[in-house]
Amino acid sequence: MSRILISLFVGLSLLTSPVWGAWPEKPIKVIVPFKAGGTSDQTARVFQAAMKENNLLSQPVTIVNVGGHYSIGSRQVMEASPDGHTFLLIHIALMGGEGSGALNFGWRDFEPVAATGEFCVLPMVRKDSGINSVQELLSEAKTNPDSLIFGANLGAINHLAGVMLQELVPGAKFRFVQIGGGTANYTALTGAQTNATVLSGAEVVKFTRMPDGSENPEAQIKPLAYTGAARFDQLSDLPTMKELGYDMEFCIKSWWFAPKGTPKAAIEGFANALEASTSTDRYQKFLESKGFANLFLGGNDLQQDLQNTWTAIEPVAKLASKK
Amino acid sequence: MDVELLFAAASQILNPWPFFLLFIGTSLGILVGAIPGMTGAMLIALTLPLTFYMDPFNAIVLLVAMYVGAISGGLITATLLRMPGTPAAVMTTFDGYPMARSGKPGRALGLGITASFIGGLIAWITLATITKPLSIFATKFGPFEYFTLIMMAMVLIASVSEGSLAKGLISGLLGMLISMPGVDPATGMPRLTFDWYMLNGGLKLLPVLIGVFAVSQIIKDALDIGQVPERIAMSSKGMLMSAKDFMAQGVNLIRSSLIGTWVGILPGIGASIGSVIAYTAAKNMSKTPEKFGTGSEEGIVASEAANNATVGGALIPLIAMGIPGSVIDAILIGALMIHSIQPGPTLFLTNADIVWGMIAACLLANVLMWLLMTSSVKYIAGLMYLPRSFVLPIVMVFCVIGSFALNNTMFDVWVMLIFGVMGFLMECAKIPLGPFVIGFVLAPLAEEKLRSGLMMTAGDFSPIFTRPLPLFFTILAVILLLWPIIGDWMRKRRASRK
Repeated sequence: MSRILISLFVGLSLLTSPVWGAWPEKPIKVIVPFKAGGTSDQTARVFQAAMKENNLLSQPVTIVNVGGHYSIGSRQVMEASPDGHTFLLIHIALMGGEGSGALNFGWRDFEPVAATGEFCVLPMVRKDSGINSVQELLSEAKTNPDSLIFGANLGAINHLAGVMLQELVPGAKFRFVQIGGGTANYTALTGAQTNATVLSGAEVVKFTRMPDGSENPEAQIKPLAYTGAARFDQLSDLPTMKELGYDMEFCIKSWWFAPKGTPKAAIEGFANALEASTSTDRYQKFLESKGFANLFLGGNDLQQDLQNTWTAIEPVAKLASKK
Repeated sequence: MDVELLFAAASQILNPWPFFLLFIGTSLGILVGAIPGMTGAMLIALTLPLTFYMDPFNAIVLLVAMYVGAISGGLITATLLRMPGTPAAVMTTFDGYPMARSGKPGRALGLGITASFIGGLIAWITLATITKPLSIFATKFGPFEYFTLIMMAMVLIASVSEGSLAKGLISGLLGMLISMPGVDPATGMPRLTFDWYMLNGGLKLLPVLIGVFAVSQIIKDALDIGQVPERIAMSSKGMLMSAKDFMAQGVNLIRSSLIGTWVGILPGIGASIGSVIAYTAAKNMSKTPEKFGTGSEEGIVASEAANNATVGGALIPLIAMGIPGSVIDAILIGALMIHSIQPGPTLFLTNADIVWGMIAACLLANVLMWLLMTSSVKYIAGLMYLPRSFVLPIVMVFCVIGSFALNNTMFDVWVMLIFGVMGFLMECAKIPLGPFVIGFVLAPLAEEKLRSGLMMTAGDFSPIFTRPLPLFFTILAVILLLWPIIGDWMRKRRASRK
């Protein structure tokens, strides 16, 4: 049975690939080092569907979720054979882990392929906190250092964002407390267990807005600013950090990497398929529902962007890991 | 509670197609729940792509039915083979299996099934009536509240171990130790991983539990493969709970269901802990605590009522606030989002039909689960008499598949096998497994919550004694710990007076 399948398979791939031996020769594996159902997994699956529906690759793409700590799946890709059929989808956690010393490898141990879609975070406080602006939040953190409780998942994205925020004003200091991801922090802030956190744009819309876009009167929490380069469409009254005079952008992109030594043809081929997917209806709808901004970076732009991100994030990650 | 909308939703489910989905969902759920290694979360994750093509109401009916079925099916294998079909059924093995072995498999299953039904029903009433205020109250539940609640359950380590207390403590501490490697919850840095990156994710609940309970049992059974329990004529007597049973178990049923509901409402705790806490409470409040672990009816009832109640409980914060109370709820949120339904505080306003569909499906699936399982108990119990040489290899294959599918790594399969051998050796040394599970499940949560709390207060422990809820839980824990001793002393005094 399996022999028949294999020969069928080989036959089919012969039919579909233009030249025998050209990339891709076999199904492409994308490792998502997080559990199924999370944002990274959804992103991978949208690209998978977009590529399939539009015949962007001559071979199918399979998605493998490697749960546990994200270092496990990432390392699997780093150590995979660089034959052009294994890719990794990850985000800034990879740099955070390297910067804090939690990982003994990092982004430079991979071949960068592409960066797609980004979302930025928003500092949040309670409505009854008396804090109405980023400036008030930070001056409170300066007058009473180490007293405002900032809910985070220590070592992860929201922690890094919090550290970056407090570093804007010398002497300002939050007390970071392990709470967890977005939903857990929404719960803790609503229950007044914490005083501040950051949430993504989509989370803010979900928890504080009515379906028609007006404010939900029952929400206990409010955003103070947006950390993107431009204002967030769905919360357009909210200023960006830059407008407020703070040099802070904190946006998370999806990064696609390949093992070191992967042939150029494979990297470019996959990057092209990703780029083509970003203009499909399916992907556009996904961006909208997630509050992501459309973006595609490859080649030298990507290399430059990774380098800039690393320069900004390395010191923050070091600070975050210091107790 | 909006009775009209509830009836509308219920009658929509009773149409042929939705009802068919409800039936399929519940039956598949029970089946998957009964297979060690396979969990409801896996079934629902696999079904998710199919629901893309259904309308959202039907999709939710199917998924909720699977959820209810899966948590109920676990008791079958827990009772008949001493292998928990789902991690939430671990506590059921302690009393269900001894009762089944003593010639009353029908009675053991029947008690579990009806307790599951009542647990589901009580949680459902809570879900349908006081969803909103409850879930707002739950957001006030801070780290110290969680910590003291968990400590209350930890007390069980001392009281659940039959035989030598020292061996019980060894087992409990071993469980805690095994839970330590991985990412430190207070710093985000790997610890006790010996620089081996596979350990960064820690040892996961499913492979460890399946190893310790199912694989060790397979090894044990394989050693005397020819042995088949003496066949006892199955009668339907005792399968259905009588009025007398309800009188005897009433308080236990209600208490365990309420505990399960509340634990379900608290995000991130889960069904296993609900049944551990309910079992502790039942044992400590029991007039015959010595029977626990040897086939106590109260033990089965407490465990099963509580784990089913967590299902309804976990839907409460999901519906009211968009907060998933468990892994399965997180997947349910994903399913809603695919249909462009945004679960969150506004769900009641925007999609009342879906909300009431979910609530009605939860009730109907519970009723259907009870009917299906009760009517097939006779056949299910017959599984116990199948030659083990057929059953064990199949179970083993599912254990391997389930452990692999969890994270798509062979690592988890090795963990499962190693813990299987360890569980077997522990049994040979007469070290009880109960305290091991409790230590393993509760210690990480207790640690994370305590350390979060201490981060908030800069190292001050006093909220444990100064806040009302933590103080209440602490006092309750002390009483639960001392109760067996006090009870003993009182009984002796009474005896000496006579």
